[in-house]
Formats: sequence, structure tokens, C-alpha cells
Amino acid sequence: MSGSNRLAGQNARPKDTPVEEVRRVDEVGEARGFLDRTPRKKPRRKPSPRTHQLHPKVFPKVGEAIAAEAERLGITQGQLIEQMWEKWEDQ
Amino acid sequence: MPVIVMASPKGGVGKSTCTVLLASEFARMGADVTVLDCDPNKSLTRWASHGAPSGVTLKSDVGRSEIVPTIRSADGDGKIVIVDLEGVASQLVSRAISQADLVIVPMQPTALDAEIGSEALALVREEEEALGRAIRHAVVLTKTSAAVKSRVQMELEQQLSGAGIDVIEPSLVARAAFSELFAYGNDLTAMMNDPEMMTGGKVDKAILNAQAFTEAVYERLK
Repeated sequence: MSGSNRLAGQNARPKDTPVEEVRRVDEVGEARGFLDRTPRKKPRRKPSPRTHQLHPKVFPKVGEAIAAEAERLGITQGQLIEQMWEKWEDQ
Repeated sequence: MPVIVMASPKGGVGKSTCTVLLASEFARMGADVTVLDCDPNKSLTRWASHGAPSGVTLKSDVGRSEIVPTIRSADGDGKIVIVDLEGVASQLVSRAISQADLVIVPMQPTALDAEIGSEALALVREEEEALGRAIRHAVVLTKTSAAVKSRVQMELEQQLSGAGIDVIEPSLVARAAFSELFAYGNDLTAMMNDPEMMTGGKVDKAILNAQAFTEAVYERLK
């Protein structure tokens, strides 16, 4: 068999497979127990859009004041800094 | 050129071994062979990691949603696509069968293999009906005894022939060289020519068996 390359003359045999045909194949398979066994991803919390982290060093009093104000407003310290930045830009 | 699909919902029947043997032999005949590894155990990827024969291209991690487009993109003039499927009953299997020009169902000569393998044969026939076209399919018996044909094997061959199922001759004999391909990679000829690839089996007989099997498959692709 080697070297003769008897396969050279064989052409592709394309199959037209529209979506309906794939669906029909799935149905036939499912009826016989050939199910979708693709592993499911574990459900998890969506990542927060606030992914950028700042590391400013401030005096302890300023840090405590920011934390207390954020707590009073019921928002995170990050959200408070975002509000402060907006006001700074508006000036 | 043709798309060959190895299908059986049972694991360990020899789907990956059949794929490696056919891919190596067809590549040696001059074909451009693409092998799709759809088995989560990644047997073919492990085999190719040791070195694949020239003319064989491997595509790994082909899942249910990618199988049809991947077969389509790999198919072409002068090319052979061989799909090694997972040993479970899944939609990946049913979708791959719909794209096949030849479905090969490897089966060890045991009652359990025959019973589970017959699910794949039944699925092929139902897909033929649903799609309105014939999908050629055949059984190959694997891991058979080199010395004697067992009573179970003879009975199984009779049952399959009686049911009008095409049985590929020769069967694939249980050879150490076949299983050692996954340890060394490449093909049987490389194994025979490399003295460092030691095998306890008879590589020359394994080569003859693989060539005769490939020839029988080739006859079914014409």
C-alpha cells in the first residue's frame, strides 16, 4: 500500500447540514439516550465593573472620615471616591 | 475525501487504537489526515505529544458545538478526517455520525461490548431515516485472540452477519505493539525501526494486521 498514493484521486464529499438537520439529529440521538453532556460551568457571581484598585496613603484621620462617611451614605468607599472625583472634575 | 467516525458509547473498546492505526496507514499511503480528538481522556493528544507521523494533523478539544464546523473545515480534496469520539452516549456522538461517510463501531468479542455497541448501530440507522440518506457503517472486532477464535467471537460474528451488519475483516488482534503506540507515539513502522522502542510483542505481525485492516476500510470508502 505504501507509496502508491491511491487516495490522491478521491475528492471531498461535503454534506449540506442546515440548522434544522442538526436539530433533527439531536432529537433522534436524545430519543436513544445520546444527550447533551457538555460540562456546565459553575454558577458564580458576575465580576464587579469596579476592577481598578487605588492604593492612596492618607492620614489616619482622613481615612477614618472617608470610611465613616461612606458608611453613613450606605455606599462603598470606592463609590464615595467616584462621587468625589465627579465633583472635582465639575469644578 | 471521506470522514470516518469511530463510535461506541462504551469506553475501552479500541476507538483510539483504530484511529491511530488508520491515521498512520492512510498517511503512509499519501493522504493528508486530520484526526479529531473528541475524547475527554485525550488519548490521541497524548499519543501525538510523543510525536505524530508526518501527514497527520491533530485537533484536540472538539466539543458538541464545534464538531460539525470542524469536520467541514478539515474536509477537502486529498484529505481524510478521522473522528475519535468519547465513550459515552452524547449529542457529540450523534452529530459526528451525521457527518460521516463511514462509521466504524469497534467492539471486543464480549456480550457487554456487543450490547452497548449495538446502541451506536441503532443510532446510525435512525439517523439514516431522519436524514434520508445512507450512512455506511461497519463493526470491527478488537482485541481478539491471535491464536484461536473464541466461541463468543464466532457467535457474535454470526449474529452480526445475520442482522445484516457489515463486519470488517480482519479483526484487530490484541497486540502489545498497538497499546505501546500510546507510550511511544508515531507509528508501528517507526517502532520497528527504532531499537530504543522496546515492545514485548511482534511488531511485524501488528503492522500486517494494521495494513490489512486499513485496506479493508479503504475498500469501504470507494
